[in-house]
Amino acid sequence: MQVPELTINGQRHSVDGPVGQTLAETLRDELGLTGTKIACAEGHCGACTVLLDGVPVYSCITLVHTVGDREVTTIEGLREHPLVEAFVRTDALQCGFCTPGQIVSASALVESNPHPSSEEIRHAMAGNLCRCGTYPKIEEAISTWQG
Amino acid sequence: MARLIRTEKEVEGRFEEVWLVVDEDALEQWPAGPRDIVGRPASRVTGPLRARGEARYTADLRLPGMLHAAVLRSPHAYARVKGISFERALAAPGVRAAIGPGEANMLTDEPGFQGQPVAAIAADTFGQARAAVELVDVDWEIREPLLDPEEAVRRGQLVSEPDRYERGDVDKALAEADVVVEAEYRTQTVLHSSFETHQSICEWRGDSLDIYISTQFIWGVRDEVASKLELPPDKVRVVCEFMGGGFGSKNGAGDHTYVAAELARRTGRPVRCMLTRREENLAAGNRNSTIQRLTAAARSDGTLVALAGEYVNATGWDGWPAPTDGPMKMLYDCENVRTVLSPAKINTPPMKAFRAPGFVEGTFGLECLLDELAAKLKVDPLELRKLNYAHSADDRPFSSKNLMECYKRAEPHWQRRDEVRARSEGPWKRGVGLASQIWYGGGGPPSYAWVRLGSDGRATVVTAMQDIGTGTATTMTQIAAEELGLPLERVDLVLGDSARGPYASISAGSSTTPSMGPAVRSAAADAARQIIEIAAQRYDKEERILSLQGGNVVSTDGDSWPIEEVLGLLEDAQILGKGARGPNPTGMQVLTFGVQVAEVAVDVETGEIRVERVAAIHDVGRVINPLGASSQVEGGIIQGIGHTLSEDRLLDPATGITLNQTLDAYRLPTIADVPEIVTELLDIPDEHLTNLGSKGLGEPPIVPTAAAIANAIRDATGADVRSLPISREEMLRALREAEAKRKEKHGAAATV
Amino acid sequence: MELLRPSELAQLDGGLFIHGGTEVVPLLRDGILATETLVDVREIVPRGIDGTRIGAGTTLAELEVDPQLPEALREACRLAASPQLRNMGSVGGNLLQATRCWYWRLKFPCRLHGGDTCHAREGEHREHAIFANDFCASAHPSDVAAALVALRATMRTSQRELPVEELFRLPTEEDRDVTTLEPGELILELDVPRPEASTYLKAMDRQRWSFPLVGVAAARSAEETRLVLSGVAPIPWVLESLEDATPLPGTAYKVQIAEALIRRAREAVA
Repeated sequence: MQVPELTINGQRHSVDGPVGQTLAETLRDELGLTGTKIACAEGHCGACTVLLDGVPVYSCITLVHTVGDREVTTIEGLREHPLVEAFVRTDALQCGFCTPGQIVSASALVESNPHPSSEEIRHAMAGNLCRCGTYPKIEEAISTWQG
Repeated sequence: MARLIRTEKEVEGRFEEVWLVVDEDALEQWPAGPRDIVGRPASRVTGPLRARGEARYTADLRLPGMLHAAVLRSPHAYARVKGISFERALAAPGVRAAIGPGEANMLTDEPGFQGQPVAAIAADTFGQARAAVELVDVDWEIREPLLDPEEAVRRGQLVSEPDRYERGDVDKALAEADVVVEAEYRTQTVLHSSFETHQSICEWRGDSLDIYISTQFIWGVRDEVASKLELPPDKVRVVCEFMGGGFGSKNGAGDHTYVAAELARRTGRPVRCMLTRREENLAAGNRNSTIQRLTAAARSDGTLVALAGEYVNATGWDGWPAPTDGPMKMLYDCENVRTVLSPAKINTPPMKAFRAPGFVEGTFGLECLLDELAAKLKVDPLELRKLNYAHSADDRPFSSKNLMECYKRAEPHWQRRDEVRARSEGPWKRGVGLASQIWYGGGGPPSYAWVRLGSDGRATVVTAMQDIGTGTATTMTQIAAEELGLPLERVDLVLGDSARGPYASISAGSSTTPSMGPAVRSAAADAARQIIEIAAQRYDKEERILSLQGGNVVSTDGDSWPIEEVLGLLEDAQILGKGARGPNPTGMQVLTFGVQVAEVAVDVETGEIRVERVAAIHDVGRVINPLGASSQVEGGIIQGIGHTLSEDRLLDPATGITLNQTLDAYRLPTIADVPEIVTELLDIPDEHLTNLGSKGLGEPPIVPTAAAIANAIRDATGADVRSLPISREEMLRALREAEAKRKEKHGAAATV
Repeated sequence: MELLRPSELAQLDGGLFIHGGTEVVPLLRDGILATETLVDVREIVPRGIDGTRIGAGTTLAELEVDPQLPEALREACRLAASPQLRNMGSVGGNLLQATRCWYWRLKFPCRLHGGDTCHAREGEHREHAIFANDFCASAHPSDVAAALVALRATMRTSQRELPVEELFRLPTEEDRDVTTLEPGELILELDVPRPEASTYLKAMDRQRWSFPLVGVAAARSAEETRLVLSGVAPIPWVLESLEDATPLPGTAYKVQIAEALIRRAREAVA
């Protein structure tokens, strides 16, 4: 029980951090999956967003021992997603530190709603802050993600 | 031949004279307008790496054997360490070393603000280091903090002497003016909130120090650390390949670097020192709050006759006087101007440069005051600004100024106001406001670049600059590709390492593109010249009939050879071009200009404000990448909206402790807070400035946003909002005040 | 620290319960909460919506999109926190969230932490209470709690059934708790009656992802129109009269906002 096994991007991993370690710490420090960023570490900003069974969560406040059999998807598992190309094409990134989290959140949105309205994008993406202020381009990337 | 010149250098409004070695800068500017690559939209060259999570930021680096540092920061705003014991901390699991006051640069036993570093621990994990910091026993003498900047001014407690300026005779002009307006404006403390927190990894290799750091100025960190640690500068190597935002807060080495360097020295291991978000909100700098008592006087025809400002900057325990008075001195043609700026030294975290420091705050005051003056004069606010158009600043001509053209382009947006006001409905009142922008952004020397081409026909630009997220890597690639006649995808860029490339500009003061761009172009031109020389010899042509176009060496007599064929002759040899940034035009003011028109809706019952549209028209010289440029404008405006409406670093008034240290309580704008943004860049090259005619764009877009929004709110509601942020309580207060004034006026009218 | 994941109620034996973790994890890491044993209750707490019954493990994200639920509850969920937090956070956990009072979160020795001062009253308190703020001026941040109390929802715990309203109590000198939950008691299920009309209006500092400065839940049934406010008192505040407000200097504006939102909410459910 204290040594959880995780399914991350389709692969099984055993992890051995202590109880209290977060999923974000496990991904970055134990597994070297540094595409997931930590910017606040308190569940306020969205840079650490990953999917658990397809649902966006803050991995910086998710304890790795509570993940259980839920499947983890990180930016490393979404590198071939058309959203990546859309974000680059529309210039929906500046410093890029929040970008993996933005794309992870957006992937869940377009999965359930391939043609989201502006209002729907703003509602679904409000938990991913961007200090550079790339929001207009993020909205454009998501509304044109299929090219 | 190398040429030694004396020239003026400006960063964020601070000028200094420097000696400079320059190459002859023989390149003519390109004609205005888009070219094959320059002036056309390009998605960022680093985009895929960043979007795919493959870009390696300082936060992502893991060196073998690396330890983690945690810093003990003062929990008190003002205190003295009477005694400190590391006994318990050193016994804690994983702890390798501890340092206290005096044992590394910036560690102090007399902290003057909450968050000032006192001691630090290195341990195997960050968690262990943090836990051990809790075990450091400090015997504190807590002192009474001074938090009120005006009280500090009264006591003469300043970080530097008051900055006084006067031209003409303000008192006489005030006495003779037809209309005078006076008002007090206040701006709040705002936090940079870079998403990658300040951090460094330091590793000693023999007597050399490698520093991996999230920085805006690789070379500045190198020089600063070398000086403080008494090392030859070339013994310090600074690396920053990707960085997650700075906005002015990452210009220096920072306490974390000195802590990591000293702990690395003591342990013989690489040490990372990374600020947590809470430390970031305390100790990473801020845009200081200001109090601005302003006066404007005009003749009844609208001619400005006097401007006066008393400015108090709440600078903090340290820092420098950001030029809050700058816009008043420079924006308008006014013969009589008097300012005094007092940088108050108080027990709060020190300010650092933050995206157009001083001018953002000062433009809010000045441009709101102009609208109050326009109202009193019954003159259209846009007309008032045109009427007082400045043709020089401090008796220096502008290298280029197209603000009048910006005003002209603003007119269609400004003329929407009847239609916007007419959409007011129920409690929602709508209005339009505008504000002008002035700021630096000319960059300057020195800056250098190399361009390397091999037999594969690809070019690599090498320069030890940093791309802080503004997209400079892309603009540099475009400039080199344009000059070399190569498609963009055949040009690479190597940056971010002081050991691998030449000196490059700071990424601050909107200076990277205007400083680095000309150096890159000149290096590419040097390489192009060599390619043509080789081709001329190989194909027996005159050099003057050869040029580089579309990946080919093209001859005016109809021949054409792919560049890789020409360079293929080299086998493993390479073409090396080098270039330098030339001087700025002497005796001229190199400045950026613009105007923004904001549309707002205000719910007058709940104080809710929605910014619905912002049109931004800026004059920044030649635009290299219109796509990246529009992103910069949008980002500036959105930060400006945060500054105007929701961001406010709050202190406990009794203790000086920062209350909103986390991003739930310190409120950055979300995607749902963003208005429609219309960007128009004039794209007129500055004919006096470098071989490009480009100025910087990082800062101009944030400068006028707050004033434009506040002026729109006044237009919508009749309420004077003079204090940032315009929170619900401030909006409702201003509405009550406006209502009271209206009643008073009507009452007075009734008695007459 | 150890983590237990019991699969039935009978296995519960002390420890700190964790479900979505959005509140527990940050507070644990910050040292405001401490435990040797974390108990992941996700396998015990029912999840899902069945008529008027809602498993306490249902997430806010699931509630926000269910068209069968009363408008006030859906809207309170929709405007709460951020999408990720709504995906993680359960409705049961939401009711138990602590105040956002910065003094409390920064561990000032305030009354809620067992001390003898309310630092907010004399200090910075723009986000604080306008009702019942004499002892402690903290504001209750739950949008959802206000909606559930307005809707006269009831709840079943591992020990009893009670109206959601009775989950909350004002802190006093003797007992600083803001809930009546006993140690080891676990919220299992809610029952939310269908009103004739309901709504939730919220004033916040941003368009999204902010705690309420003032939230107003209104529910009209055959017998009454009930108004409950969030962000204005240490607990969800059942409104009798706005005249009862005792705002602090920095929270007087909340009274004005509340006045407008109360009027609008009444109109919306009329």
